[in-house]
Amino acid sequence: MAAVPEPGEPGKGKPFKLLGILDVENIPCARDSILYGSLGSVVAGLGHFLLTSRIRRSCDVGVGGFILVTLGCWFHCRYNYAKQRIQQRIAREGIKNKVLYESTHLDPERKPTNGNHSN
Amino acid sequence: MAHPLQLGLQDASSPIMEELLYFHDHALMIVFLISSLVLYTISLMLTTKLMHTSTMNAQMVETMWTILPAVILTSIALPSLRILYMTDEINNPLLTIKAMGHQWYWSYEYTDYTDLNFDSYMTPTLDLKPGELRLLEVDNRTVLPMETPVRMLISSEDVLHSWAVPSLGLKTDAIPGRLNQTTLSATRPGLFYGQCSEICGSNHSFMPIVLELIPLKHFETWSTLTS
Repeated sequence: MAAVPEPGEPGKGKPFKLLGILDVENIPCARDSILYGSLGSVVAGLGHFLLTSRIRRSCDVGVGGFILVTLGCWFHCRYNYAKQRIQQRIAREGIKNKVLYESTHLDPERKPTNGNHSN
Repeated sequence: MAHPLQLGLQDASSPIMEELLYFHDHALMIVFLISSLVLYTISLMLTTKLMHTSTMNAQMVETMWTILPAVILTSIALPSLRILYMTDEINNPLLTIKAMGHQWYWSYEYTDYTDLNFDSYMTPTLDLKPGELRLLEVDNRTVLPMETPVRMLISSEDVLHSWAVPSLGLKTDAIPGRLNQTTLSATRPGLFYGQCSEICGSNHSFMPIVLELIPLKHFETWSTLTS
């Protein structure tokens, strides 16, 4: 049974949520995506301003860059994360099968023997 | 179970719930980006004195705000449909258990290999032992084998109820005269709590569900002892 902290007891700190909804600490890939997005936003916005000296349009470019870079990093990271999860699942099943079936006829590493067995 | 003041989903203990958690993260990221864009647009509108009062057409922006939402909705719908069809996959359950909703308790029937049925009433607050959870504990837990597909057949003897266990991603309506089916497969042992999720009268909040998932070997011992 999980131990529930009593009211008043110091428990784990409240997770930090961007805009009150996005828990960047606990969602895989969220922190990296937001950080890369912020970097992309600053680079795009600053670069546009240095080229054109237009402030409002540079801000628009910055926001657009933030959204695009965040989305791009997010999809890339989540795709790799999903592939990794599948590989972990296969490895876990393989280890379990190896432990369960070692030295039996179901051993996954056992080579099939052809020909007659000797007496 | 949920901890006090919890707003988010509980930790996943079944493969479907894991997928739902990841999908929730994905949808939340998209919602966050849209919210940021909207907040930025509002701030732009509020910080200018310029006004264009004779707009006749705006083809580019109309095209953008038609295509972009369609792309966003597609990126949300595809994973959602994938999980939806995943929940309907055939996985050859090894055990079938019936859960019947009553006012205001659940009853369970294990009729595959034994003739076992019992009622599961909430433990009143005054009868709780130290450390037990208020409004969540029951007198007879539903014991199930872990890492084993189990078919749950859910119905009701009187009014509408709903059999829900959030950490396993389960919620199925208990409808009188109808048999609803769901499949359960827990990845780890432990106690998993749920509550009735369809208003069913004055004690709707006081008919919890507790699943006790144990290794198959121990489950066999338990069913032998209780039959």
